[in-house]
Amino acid sequence: MGQDNSRRDFLRKGLATTAFAMLATSQADAMSLQIPGRDEKNPKYIGQKGKHFVMVLDLRKCIGCQACTSVCKIENEVPEDQFRTFVTETELGEFPDVRKGFLPQLCNHCESPACVPVCPTGATFKREDGIVVVDNTVCWGCGYCISACPYDKRYFNKRTKTADKCNFCAQRVDKGLLPACVETCIGGARVFGDINDKNSDVYKLVSNFSTNVLKEAQGTRPQVFYINLDSRLEELSSSTQSLDDIVKAEEGFQREWMKARGGKDNG
Amino acid sequence: MDNLQHVATLISSITIEKPWGIDVPNYFWFTGSSAAAFIISSFAHVFGWEKYKPIAGVALLMAFVLLVAAPLNLIDDLKQPGRVLNFFMYGWENFPTSPMKWGVLLLMAYPILIFFEAQALYRVYFVKNAQKSSGIKKLFHTAFAFGNMDISKEALEKDHKRGFMLGAIGIPLALAVHGYTGYILGAVHANVMWHTPLMPIIFLASAMVSGTGLLIILIPLFQRFLSERKKVDNEMVATLAKLLSWFIVSDLVMRFLWLTFSLTFANGEKYALYSYFSLHFVDTLWIDYVLCLFVPLVIGFTKLRNTPAVVYFGGIVTAIGVWLFRWNTVIGGQEIPRTTPGFLHYSAPIFGQDSIVAILSNWGILFALICAVLLIFPWDEEMEDCYEGAENAK
Repeated sequence: MGQDNSRRDFLRKGLATTAFAMLATSQADAMSLQIPGRDEKNPKYIGQKGKHFVMVLDLRKCIGCQACTSVCKIENEVPEDQFRTFVTETELGEFPDVRKGFLPQLCNHCESPACVPVCPTGATFKREDGIVVVDNTVCWGCGYCISACPYDKRYFNKRTKTADKCNFCAQRVDKGLLPACVETCIGGARVFGDINDKNSDVYKLVSNFSTNVLKEAQGTRPQVFYINLDSRLEELSSSTQSLDDIVKAEEGFQREWMKARGGKDNG
Repeated sequence: MDNLQHVATLISSITIEKPWGIDVPNYFWFTGSSAAAFIISSFAHVFGWEKYKPIAGVALLMAFVLLVAAPLNLIDDLKQPGRVLNFFMYGWENFPTSPMKWGVLLLMAYPILIFFEAQALYRVYFVKNAQKSSGIKKLFHTAFAFGNMDISKEALEKDHKRGFMLGAIGIPLALAVHGYTGYILGAVHANVMWHTPLMPIIFLASAMVSGTGLLIILIPLFQRFLSERKKVDNEMVATLAKLLSWFIVSDLVMRFLWLTFSLTFANGEKYALYSYFSLHFVDTLWIDYVLCLFVPLVIGFTKLRNTPAVVYFGGIVTAIGVWLFRWNTVIGGQEIPRTTPGFLHYSAPIFGQDSIVAILSNWGILFALICAVLLIFPWDEEMEDCYEGAENAK
């Protein structure tokens, strides 16, 4: 009897201790206010303390060559038909007073991003140097951040099946290099740097020129600043009809368009 | 604006992909209808309205199955469904600002609560069935009675109290479990259609409509083909039709407030919204408002509600109409462009994740769950007792 009792007791105590230990370790390892990479203070997740990276886009210098678009795809292995950055090409004015308008667009790395607070897994967050990143090993692909971004600068990466976006080429910046798009910009329209550094180009540009941000009314405080931003370019991007198609239809380009695309043309 | 169209022409841009497909409106419809079914069951269980007593049990069971089936839509909508655990382990610092975080907790708490409420309601019948049967059947019924075989007056009073308590807690929970879905959309300030504090209320109002519509279709089916009486309670059908009309009134009021403000008195976004509704004016007006709301409204408020076939028609069109409203809100809201000109277009794929087949499978699961709860719970005995009680009282 006595032996039986002590064995049972031993088993009971043993089980309880094991269960408690398992629970405690799993709790300590698993539950997190943030995500493991940030808890571990991994420099990739924390960023460069004391710095604040911004980009200035000098639209006077952009010629719409799309070199940034293509180099970004190569550097960041962006899947086919998906883009972290691109340049919208627009025709402004009426003949003969016309000119081209280019609007390079990328993640604005907002000071008050709409995408970060809604993320239910904490996979997307803002580093201490202001760069908004996505941990694609944590993201579960719910798409809430993609819906929340007023700039449409997030997408589901076809390869990783997670939310993806421009990260200011953090992998390069952390090594002291420039983002690929800045490096390749032939007109020097893209300028990148630490705005906390008073000797930086971005500090001087933002201080000396009047700059604008996209969709200021959204209250996201974008950290990508535009010089010489034509308000018509912004109007265009929030208008609801494909102006290109309207003009083509009005001007009768529809048939030519069909021909160019190899469609049937009976006219 | 018009002038601008002649001076700016887009030559090239990128077509934007949108994240939420057909799973999401379907999910919203399920949770909404569940909340409505729960509220209707609470009319009897919490507010003590005798009129709704016979259908309160079935409504509760429907609330349960709808909410068990609903989250499957969400898992299917995830691009990385294998990472569901990440939700529970990480990112709790976003709890105050991510309605999705609240939602999953609500989605887990609510069906458990309904299950216990249903158990409290049906325990006495499980006990009676256990006393009548033997072997594995007895074991089964005893298990559902949670081993509590006491059916003395005091014990039943206790059950009733427990049911009342759970029902009372359940009402805010039911409102929250659907209200949060509207909150998810309303919180997205980037989307001109969704961004209104009214969104959770609009969702609740239309949910009451779809849930009542669904019960109008299901309850007569159960009564006619599965109950002991094999007879439809036409008076109940008329009662539900009238209730539906009142819910439609509240839905219309909410939508009136929403649309008049956002189309007329909003900031610059109103142009985009105006274009959207101009483009969809005919189908929205005739299908969404006239056929699916106004016609059932008239049915419920006139003598037409005494003709069951007409009421069934009203129930079906409202249930479908609210599904379409969910679709128009979720998909339509995403079709409005934010950075590129021209509306985007989405059509659901037939196969695969987030597809028409996925939705149909979800409905299949709902059907299977309905069969399961109707088999397990002694709903028809309880319903019969309610009717007999009412007849004796007369």
